Amino acid sequence: MKEKSYWSPYLSGVGLGLTLLASFVVAGQGLGASRAFTVTASKALQAVIPAYTATLSYLSSYLERALFQDWTVVEVGGLFLGALIGVLWSRSFRLRFDRGKGVSIGMRTLTALGGGMILGFASRLARGCTSGVALTGGAQFALAGWVFVIAMFATGFLVRSFFRRLWS
Amino acid sequence: MSAPLQLSDTANLIGALFLGLSFGFFLERGGLGNPHRLTGVFYLTDFAVPKAMFTAILVAATGVCVLTDLKILDMGAVYIIPTFFWPQLVGGALFGIGYIVSGYCPGTAVAGLASGRLDALAAMVGVGLGALIFAAVFPQVEGFYLTSSMGKVTLPEFIGINKWVMLAIVYVMAGSLFYAMERFEHGRSPAGIMQHRHA
Repeated sequence: MKEKSYWSPYLSGVGLGLTLLASFVVAGQGLGASRAFTVTASKALQAVIPAYTATLSYLSSYLERALFQDWTVVEVGGLFLGALIGVLWSRSFRLRFDRGKGVSIGMRTLTALGGGMILGFASRLARGCTSGVALTGGAQFALAGWVFVIAMFATGFLVRSFFRRLWS
Repeated sequence: MSAPLQLSDTANLIGALFLGLSFGFFLERGGLGNPHRLTGVFYLTDFAVPKAMFTAILVAATGVCVLTDLKILDMGAVYIIPTFFWPQLVGGALFGIGYIVSGYCPGTAVAGLASGRLDALAAMVGVGLGALIFAAVFPQVEGFYLTSSMGKVTLPEFIGINKWVMLAIVYVMAGSLFYAMERFEHGRSPAGIMQHRHA
């Protein structure tokens, strides 16, 4: 029901590449993702503990605009809707926890949350993620993009045996 | 016409919405909202990530080279990601661990949630928390964050070659990678490839 309905990754890649090129032409910047999470999380923190948030100098640039005035937040909103169109079109929507055999829902929630935290921290340190640094930077031939993507794949291969149980 | 376009704020946000729609649609259709597919590259069971990623890089980079030489697109006016060598090397390495543990990256987690994956929602919450942790410890990591600044440097500038030569090198590298991955998949599981072909 799921794998069989996917397109060839090469075809998907052509679509992604044309989208990225269109982004350079239309918006004067590439595609992003992690910034939207930083902006949203900063706004949430500000709503809960405004005094503490004000002391975090790193967040000030992310709090400048209203949430839906931020380019990347709107773009990631579009990403969700675009993916939803793809899912509904292929009739593959199904609520579930996607996990390896023998991984409990609790364990899966923990690895997703913990792994996500590492992604969030790493994205800030690297000034972006797979979208803004690897994909966009890669296509711009930016040194940053190629350093990031090589470090990412190399480390994944180095540590893979520790996490095999999560995905087999 | 000269690009990038100088759009009003509202038009730029509408553009962001449509670019995002296209981004998400192609991510999902390539199976990149599926954590098994996303982590498959590390276990040599699924090469969708490098195939889609390097195809996208080749297509966009070719377009940039052509549009730049036709004087349609001015890359000088496009935001280029600045290089901070060590923070991006360490950030990329940490990112690789977060990716294999969570099964996603930030953008693909959003595509995963759109397909009903609740684990992707947990990963998204994690990404937000991780960014806040970074902000909280920023005074301690700021020194490292700012080291090895190299500016908006590109590989052709860094190596000292023409951008078309660089493009040709990337074509050869990606092409060799695609060839090796296809050969590996054929050798490992002919039945799986046939299924894939008929899909």
